[in-house]
Amino acid sequence: MKDIKRIFVFTSLILQILSAGGFGAEQIAIQGGTILPISGAPIKDGTVLVKDGKIAALGRNVAVPTDVRVINANDKFVMPGLIDSQSRLFVIDSEFNEGRSIAPELNILDGLDPFVKESPEVAAQGVTAVYIAPVSHSLISGSGAVLKLNGSKDVNKMLLKGDIAVKATIGVSANNQSSSLGRLAEYSSIREALLETKIYMHNKEKYERELAEYNQKKAEYEKKKQAKPTEKFEKPKRPARFRPNPTREVLARILSKEIPLQIEAHRVTDILNAIRLADEFGFTLILDKCTEGYMIADRIARSKASVILGPVTASFIETPRLEYRNHDVRNAAVLSKKGVKLALGVSGRDGASSKFITLAAAMAVASGMDKDLALRAVTLTPAEILGVADRIGSLDVGKDADVVILNGHPLDSLSRVEMVLIDGRTVFERKNQQ
Amino acid sequence: MKIRRFLSLLVILSCSICLESLGEETPILAISAGKIWTITDGIITDGVIIINNGKIQAVGENADVPEGAKVLDMSDKNVMPGMIDAHCHIGLSVNVQREMDETVAAVAADMQILDAFDPYANDVKKALRSGVTTVLLAPGYRNPIGGQAAVVKLDTSRANDWVLKRTAGVDFSVMNQALMFNREPTSRAGLVELLREELDRAKAYKPEKFNPRREVLKRVVDANLPAYIWAHNVDEIASAMTIVDEYGLNAVLVAAGQGDEIADMIAQRNLPAIYPPLLLSSRDKDLQRPGKIAGSGVKLAFASLAPKTDLYDLRTSAILAAKYGLDKEAAIKSLTINPAEILGVSDRLGSISRGKDADLVVLNGEPLQVTSGIELVMVNGNIVYQRQEE
Repeated sequence: MKDIKRIFVFTSLILQILSAGGFGAEQIAIQGGTILPISGAPIKDGTVLVKDGKIAALGRNVAVPTDVRVINANDKFVMPGLIDSQSRLFVIDSEFNEGRSIAPELNILDGLDPFVKESPEVAAQGVTAVYIAPVSHSLISGSGAVLKLNGSKDVNKMLLKGDIAVKATIGVSANNQSSSLGRLAEYSSIREALLETKIYMHNKEKYERELAEYNQKKAEYEKKKQAKPTEKFEKPKRPARFRPNPTREVLARILSKEIPLQIEAHRVTDILNAIRLADEFGFTLILDKCTEGYMIADRIARSKASVILGPVTASFIETPRLEYRNHDVRNAAVLSKKGVKLALGVSGRDGASSKFITLAAAMAVASGMDKDLALRAVTLTPAEILGVADRIGSLDVGKDADVVILNGHPLDSLSRVEMVLIDGRTVFERKNQQ
Repeated sequence: MKIRRFLSLLVILSCSICLESLGEETPILAISAGKIWTITDGIITDGVIIINNGKIQAVGENADVPEGAKVLDMSDKNVMPGMIDAHCHIGLSVNVQREMDETVAAVAADMQILDAFDPYANDVKKALRSGVTTVLLAPGYRNPIGGQAAVVKLDTSRANDWVLKRTAGVDFSVMNQALMFNREPTSRAGLVELLREELDRAKAYKPEKFNPRREVLKRVVDANLPAYIWAHNVDEIASAMTIVDEYGLNAVLVAAGQGDEIADMIAQRNLPAIYPPLLLSSRDKDLQRPGKIAGSGVKLAFASLAPKTDLYDLRTSAILAAKYGLDKEAAIKSLTINPAEILGVSDRLGSISRGKDADLVVLNGEPLQVTSGIELVMVNGNIVYQRQEE
């Protein structure tokens, strides 16, 4: 009896895997209900047409081909997959901690464990993508990546985009002994690294210019020599060798605005320092955590920096460190009212807490944040800040078919997720009607 | 000249006496509310709550508003009783870990946590805006017998009777964290044996030979005073039940995290459970536990264990539990009437009913929605927090 059961489970598993493989190419029509595209106004009784894992059409009058798989979403809510932009899923903290150093060349992808048991639970709450940045023990600790929770055990298959931003940290105390001097030193170490990079870039440019000149002169020399082999010409001198430096190369990409610098800063002084650095070097700044941001909301709004804010609730703070001293649940509401571009992150106690992303948005609403902006702060805004809005974050034609179907509004605390699609494939479907 | 001075003094005096008597007689307050969550008597739509002298005088759809009553228009709002946190450690200085437990001695039954409480601490002031109006202030879990817990109202700056019970019970712990390498007990068996010794001595206690520690434990053995027993894992809960059975204690389980796995046994003994904050773990399995425990008939109350989690998230715990299977009515009761009953203050708190204290919370949505913000908090009929629009 047991064997039969086992065989049954096994074959059904294989079938499931096979059919899952096939789903990507299938056409799906999600019909009825309220569509929340996030990028535009809600659509009542519309249709989302999915083809080849992308959204092919969307709206009230979508022509649905006859051979498509139809998902009935009557009385339901249809929205883009949620994004936790402060996730720790797949990360084992101690495995990504290079001391207090400047190490921008590290890549979070090299430190991830894709075999995390809780990952399907997180996807089942409608979270389809997570941004994972290195943890906050190093000054400049490496680049983060956006992964999709598509159930793969291969990091490369989950990867949506790597090298999203380089993570830096100012004023985070490792042992609650944060002194003003220590924080000053951290700030100046980062500044020094950026200054040296500026010099590096200057030298590199000079070398490349000289090399081009040399090559040109050398070609001329060869030409002349060939024409008159007997005559003596002055041989051009090769410029001194230039040694490329991997650390500087990464930082150079920040200074040339190819990738943003994401600075974790909690206290007012640290946030101001981060903004000062961005003003001085002109890089794209993402302020991470931004715990005391509400105290200087105007200054942040003027700086044009975008903010990934979290945790919204102090309950997620594991050790009551100094930098969280003035944590306030109203932070998100205050910053968003001043017009700051704001994404919300969970920043919870463990990896699986990414599933609380709508809870974070709901808490921001309770303290005064606009409902639509709060929903945007867990979908389209993080996608924009992280530079992946061409693929995810909203329901728009051409974007990935990462779709969540709920039995109520996403900010209704008692709503349940019914179905989750990633690239058009079903990664979760509620079985029993509890 | 002198007479004039005397007269003016008299006038000032009489005036101030007049003012004082006016202050004592607060006007009757009428709150007209969109929805009143009475807890013990259902939900009243478009009702009125009449408050007189800090107490609820009447509540209902057509309660008569007395002449001259000050009317508070909350007709688009929800009103619920002030929430009660069944276990927390706020107001205990920066280093809470140190203030919570007297870890040099394993038995600290005579220690009163109220002695370490700062009523003017920042987190106490902040607490009111979370809608929590009463808490059980408790020692921690790192001592087999940790000390006496107190029930206090959080309006510590205005009211002068904010201590409802200086000794509301004694905290016990059978958790592994109560075992230490540098003092006895160091093992679970040793811990249970120590509890037996202490309770046996308390049983034999004679008031003639005064001993404050024995005296309070005597009240516990006589089941006059509740024993709050910290036990999280199944094995710890089993140890707690052993002691409860042997001595017939009037006990409450604290942090009964894995209680769902032996919920029948807990229900059979009529032990209420104070459940730890749900935001501490994010696994589905843990989030479903409160629903399972309450489903077996165990009376449930939530605790924030603040500052471990924010007091604000006491309500979040109940909402999450409801999302993951706890009955909605049970969820809201576990913030109000259940903790009031467990802490023995249900004659004054826990529901919006005639005669109870006017400790109320006004929300701009339903209580079991995280998006509902807290608009106003009232303790003893006094407004202690009101949301400002910035």
